[in-house]
Amino acid sequence: AFSFLSGLFSGKTVTEDDLTKTSKSLSEHLINKNVAPEIAKKLVERINKSLVGTKVTTSIPKAARNALEKELLKLLTPETSINLLKEIQSKKAARKPYVISVVGVNGVGKSTNLSKLAFWLLSNKYRVLITACDTFRSGAVEQLRVHVNNLKKLTEDESHVELFQGGYGGADLVSKIAKGAIQYAEENKFDIVLLDTAGRRHNDAQLMAPLQGFVKAAKPDKIIMVGEALVGTDSVQQAKNFNGAFGPGRTLDFFIISKCDTVGDLIGSMVNMVYATGIPILFVGTGQTYTDLRTLSVDWAVDTLMS
Amino acid sequence: MVLADLGRRINNAVGNVTKSNVVDADVISNMLKEICNALLESDVNIKLVAQLREKIRKQIDAEDKPGINKKKLIQKVVFDELVKLVDCNEAELFKPKKKQTNVIMMVGLQGAGKTTTCTKLAVYYQRRGFKVGMVCGDTFRAGAFDQLKQNATKAKIPYYGSYTETDPVKVTFDGVEEFRKEKFEIIIVDTSGRHRQEEDLFEEMVQIGKAIKPNQTIMVLDASIGQSAESQSKAFKESSDFGAIIITKMDSNSKGGGALSAIAATNTPVAFIATGEHIQNFEKFSGRGFISKLLGIGDIEGLMEH
Ligand SMILES: Nc1nc2c(ncn2[C@@H]2O[C@H](COP(=O)(O)OP(=O)(O)OP(=O)(O)O)[C@@H](O)[C@H]2O)c(=O)[nH]1
Ligand SMILES: Nc1nc2c(ncn2[C@@H]2O[C@H](COP(=O)(O)OP(=O)(O)OP(=O)(O)O)[C@@H](O)[C@H]2O)c(=O)[nH]1
Ligand SMILES: [Mg+2]
Ligand SMILES: [Mg+2]
Repeated sequence: AFSFLSGLFSGKTVTEDDLTKTSKSLSEHLINKNVAPEIAKKLVERINKSLVGTKVTTSIPKAARNALEKELLKLLTPETSINLLKEIQSKKAARKPYVISVVGVNGVGKSTNLSKLAFWLLSNKYRVLITACDTFRSGAVEQLRVHVNNLKKLTEDESHVELFQGGYGGADLVSKIAKGAIQYAEENKFDIVLLDTAGRRHNDAQLMAPLQGFVKAAKPDKIIMVGEALVGTDSVQQAKNFNGAFGPGRTLDFFIISKCDTVGDLIGSMVNMVYATGIPILFVGTGQTYTDLRTLSVDWAVDTLMS
Repeated sequence: MVLADLGRRINNAVGNVTKSNVVDADVISNMLKEICNALLESDVNIKLVAQLREKIRKQIDAEDKPGINKKKLIQKVVFDELVKLVDCNEAELFKPKKKQTNVIMMVGLQGAGKTTTCTKLAVYYQRRGFKVGMVCGDTFRAGAFDQLKQNATKAKIPYYGSYTETDPVKVTFDGVEEFRKEKFEIIIVDTSGRHRQEEDLFEEMVQIGKAIKPNQTIMVLDASIGQSAESQSKAFKESSDFGAIIITKMDSNSKGGGALSAIAATNTPVAFIATGEHIQNFEKFSGRGFISKLLGIGDIEGLMEH
């Protein structure tokens, strides 16, 4: 008659059945945080697997929560520590510009976060060439020009940042501009080339295909996908499709998760993207100004997801 | 359109009930579970889904009387409740009138597709014989005026904007006044992207609204939005009292459940959907049509009439 209490006492061996109710509530908790149901389910299955057959010293819901917390921590902590500046430094020694490209679906914040990256690199005393490889969307080139002009005013030496552009046109033009920018950067001693690209639908093969040619031409040292915190379950497919868009032997290197300031504590889309690909998060975007680019505090993220 | 998937799954869940020999609590539970999963996987708000589950269960209990065809009853209840979720009491959609000025203000989250949609809407009305102009009220985003200008030029729509004025209230007021003087019939006003967490941005939207007194405010919503749809759209509704929704990026993989939650949370109908980046990727949508398409009710209504 008191079996419902048994979970409260130490030394109980956990069975599948013990976990049914807890699983459901944890899964709902995650979905509420904007974690995709399929990912929530897999996460919960993982913690169930880790718990069944073990002896717990706390109540089962508590043990399950702890396990989930650990799982999220493990998921969001990059396997190797990220030190982009160090890599850039070593390439600088070789007198080659370091090339970084951003990709992602329409309107997620590629151009804005590319400009934030530029600001960060400028404050680390690098010379940055911003390159307009979005030759499709109206105003894309002018958008970057405004950012470059703003950034010039924010840097001690105006010549540390420049715009490289070739106007509007098709996919051929994109690769041509990218190559041109890298050559220009080499000749003019820019340390870093930042390549903006057009937003594209991850479910349209015709739009995704040119990414292979682009990567072949530009050979970026890093490809960063900007994914937004607002997006729902589609974040899973977005991340997978971009990760697989560059042909054999090349994947994404990082995510920037943008618009984290717009979702309150519903930050599950970052879980979706990382779970779907295993690609780590370089930065999170937390607003519309140049300083709104932060390193993800994994502790904060896990607390927010668990709250 | 992937939305149809959701409708199909719901139809299947109901279909399974009608196929089973006995309709007991288990069968109903399974059906509800399947419907709820389908809704959740389409980004419908989780609270909304929970409410719906209870409503359907209660309604089935309430209407269940001896002798009644239980399978038919379940079918009816499920679809009634789903329709209620997004039924805006057939709220009248705004119809601009010729020979007078109709101001339409676009609002929404960052990157939702407002600026792109402005030109699509302008072209839509121009083709129907209206004299249409566009005003760029986004003085914040880099290149916003150039974007609108290039789109407008391509589509041959007169536009107004400023590279130097930084106050969106002033630019939009001036732009609307100028077009009004020139007897434009539809003036579409683009505004910056904003979100509820930043109060100043919402206050700015309220001020623009006071200055230009829109006849219609439209919230532009990205079809791929997740669980934030409800709270963001509610906040926009409270501050801007938008009277219609345009769902963009319907060409994406998304199932549109976030948008559905926004409709339910704000009781506001969908006026148009956008299905791509090009001007012609734009369709009119009636509230009913949206619901039927979403839930594949077309076939079911036919089925129920027999
Ligand atoms: N609140 C908030 N807004 C952001 C953030 N990052 C970008 N934005 C806004 O999102 C909108 C779209 O940003 P863009 O940088 O133009 O997006 P994009 O991905 O380059 O867009 P396309 O090139 O058209 O595909 C702009 O209004 C930005 O100010 C962020 O971290 N927080
Ligand atoms: N695939 C697709 N892309 C779209 C659609 N509508 C707009 N876009 C793209 O989405 C991106 C953002 O569109 P904008 O019109 O700049 O969005 P916005 O709401 O004005 O953005 P902010 O002014 O920065 O808040 C652009 O790359 C558009 O081309 C659509 O229906 N489908
Ligand atoms: Mg861009
Ligand atoms: Mg805009």
